[in-house]
Amino acid sequence: MTSSAIFLILVLLSLVSFAMTRQKALTRAGGDPAKLHSLPRHYGYFAATCVLLPSFFAFGIWLIFGKSIIEGLIVSGLPDRLFEVGTDQATLVLNRIRLVVENASSPETDPDILAAAQKFNDLYIRGIWAAFALSVSFGLVGFYLASNRTQPDFRARNKFERIMLIALALSSVIAIATTLGIVASLLFESLRFFHEVPVTEFVFGLHWSPQTALRADQVASSGAFGAVPLFAGTLLISFIAMLVAGPIGLLAAIYLTQYANTKMRKIAKPMLEVLAGVPTVVYGFFAALTVAPFFRDLGITLGLDIASESALAAGIVMGIMIIPFVSSLSDDAITAVPKSLKDGSLALGATPSETITQVVLPAALPGIVGAFLLAVSRAVGETMIVVMAAGMQPKLTANPFEAVTTVTVQIVALLTGDQEFDSAKTLSAFALGLALFVSTMALNVIALKIVRKYREVYD
Amino acid sequence: MTDTKIAKMTAKDVHVFYGDNHAVKGISLDLHQDEVTALIGPSGCGKSTFLRCLNRMNDTVATCRVEGKITLDNEDIYDPSIDVVQLRARVGMVFQKPNPFPKSIYDNVAYGPRIHGLAQSRTDLDEIVTVSLEKAGLWNEVKDRLDSPGTALSGGQQQRLCIARAIAVNPEVILMDEPCSALDPIATAKVEALIDELKGRYAIAIVTHSMQQAARVSQKTAFFHMGDLVEHGDTTDIFTSPKEERTRDYITGRFG
Ligand SMILES: Nc1ncnc2c1ncn2[C@@H]1O[C@H](COP(=O)(O)OP(=O)(O)OP(=O)(O)O)[C@@H](O)[C@H]1O
Ligand SMILES: [Mg+2]
Repeated sequence: MTSSAIFLILVLLSLVSFAMTRQKALTRAGGDPAKLHSLPRHYGYFAATCVLLPSFFAFGIWLIFGKSIIEGLIVSGLPDRLFEVGTDQATLVLNRIRLVVENASSPETDPDILAAAQKFNDLYIRGIWAAFALSVSFGLVGFYLASNRTQPDFRARNKFERIMLIALALSSVIAIATTLGIVASLLFESLRFFHEVPVTEFVFGLHWSPQTALRADQVASSGAFGAVPLFAGTLLISFIAMLVAGPIGLLAAIYLTQYANTKMRKIAKPMLEVLAGVPTVVYGFFAALTVAPFFRDLGITLGLDIASESALAAGIVMGIMIIPFVSSLSDDAITAVPKSLKDGSLALGATPSETITQVVLPAALPGIVGAFLLAVSRAVGETMIVVMAAGMQPKLTANPFEAVTTVTVQIVALLTGDQEFDSAKTLSAFALGLALFVSTMALNVIALKIVRKYREVYD
Repeated sequence: MTDTKIAKMTAKDVHVFYGDNHAVKGISLDLHQDEVTALIGPSGCGKSTFLRCLNRMNDTVATCRVEGKITLDNEDIYDPSIDVVQLRARVGMVFQKPNPFPKSIYDNVAYGPRIHGLAQSRTDLDEIVTVSLEKAGLWNEVKDRLDSPGTALSGGQQQRLCIARAIAVNPEVILMDEPCSALDPIATAKVEALIDELKGRYAIAIVTHSMQQAARVSQKTAFFHMGDLVEHGDTTDIFTSPKEERTRDYITGRFG
């Protein structure tokens, strides 16, 4: 009996109860649907949810807690001999057991472990049957109750509506709770980091070199955690990106909204959207393999010293990536300007370009600013292009020809590879993540505020 | 009917198509200096469309095609050599819904003179703004707050601001498309008084759905129906002794 089989059976059960209740409602009404408060199918829906919800609930409990309960039972039954080395051994022993459970041909020889694995399997099979029985009986009880209430005057439609409402509300609660959970874990881990490294060093320190301390007694095991070079690098690259995306995106939006004919728009808009759909890793290797070498070679011919991984290359490619973002948001802002304003200007004898620069753009300005801010927060959070094209050097420089690194790249660098989880190095990733989160969120909030405020003016 | 005076604008056999939709079917009509011409007719009969031909605002509609001949001072305004921008400066337009720019009252009125370079200095510009607002009968209401946004005015004030904006570029013809339909009776009365005031200097065409308004402000009336110009002539004649059955039905409110 596998979980998916049980799942299927429960769904079948609810389908059956749907059909039966629907029929029953009709029968109770003497075959005349008009006598029922709700449509027959609403009684069916109601019954189906009455079956599904409790049985899924029971089964879900098993899925979430079943394994750990069994493991707890088994570990407590193991001989002390296995735990000699220390308390941490419990997870290790458990892992050995798990290995045997998952892979029958594993090289485990310890008879106690083998026995435990055997026991685990037995318990698991019993557990799953129990869970099955329990969830089916929950479902049957639900069916029984729903079936009992299937009277012509029962307001199945409203009841079902309520159940749906609760389900929808629960979904949004889950979304919100997840977000809060992520933020909380960021905060919590960052606090741990700030226990080891003072906030002031993190915020104002000019030197970033998180050391890999493989052993605790290693020399220079604690590094420098000044995040300024990372934020400077992020700003530099985002700035270059906006230099590219801002004008091009805005001008493209102006062209598409004001000058292009319908046919042109029909072709150009989807093309821009395709640009937005290209995975960032593709931009990344475009940056690393085409653009960065191009600038290096260009630098050589011009006598400039351009690194083969440069902020310039990464920034430009990132700019290309966010062009569609800027253009489609500016497009929205510009199209939201009422046509009557434009007509008013044209009717006064203004040329199209005068109309655009003096009436349309000023009216759309808040929306455009919002679009730019959202684009900046996109650029700040972008990782892949920078990883591949801008290098890893936490250098504090304003020179776009040098390799720099950004917050996101450092987070990747900190968390990939073998890490000791609670070292300052690993924890610093959370602090960086928190800083990044706070800054992009602030940008987004401001941008959305501006955009919304401006919408209200014309709606 | 016979015209002894020379017409400011003449339309001859004008047809307008929106794609396949034949919206205006062979209209011939003259606009005279010193005269207000009212365009009346049921909704969708092509009044706005015809009006928008006179300053080529229909050019902004991609599907729109205009045939026939329209002249301003005997110059064909659809001639390729005509500068549309210049034409629109000479033929001003006031829209149904007041559409002040989201700029200050001053900048709204100064907008046209600025783009056409009508003022040599700031004092010139101040002069133009003041005079235009005075002509539009708005000066006393806004003279202390020229810097506040034009969009903050009331609907009636906004419409008079738009009229001031139109006369600031010193046009020869003013086209008004239902300028009072978004206004209350008091604001309407003010705009009507203004139109009366203005008629000495400009040739004015006004689209209206109000028979009373047409009777009050216009000297000539043209009745449109389904893209045809059914009848046109002196306003008093049209309203007292219409020649056509359809005109009579419309002005007595029997259809439309
Ligand atoms: N921009 C446009 N695109 C396509 N068809 C249009 C457009 N504007 C007007 N039309 C069509 O042209 C015809 C005449 O419209 P018009 O706006 O001139 O009528 P109107 O007499 O001004 O009516 P109303 O009194 O309601 O303003 C209508 O059939 C309308 O559907
Ligand atoms: Mg109209």
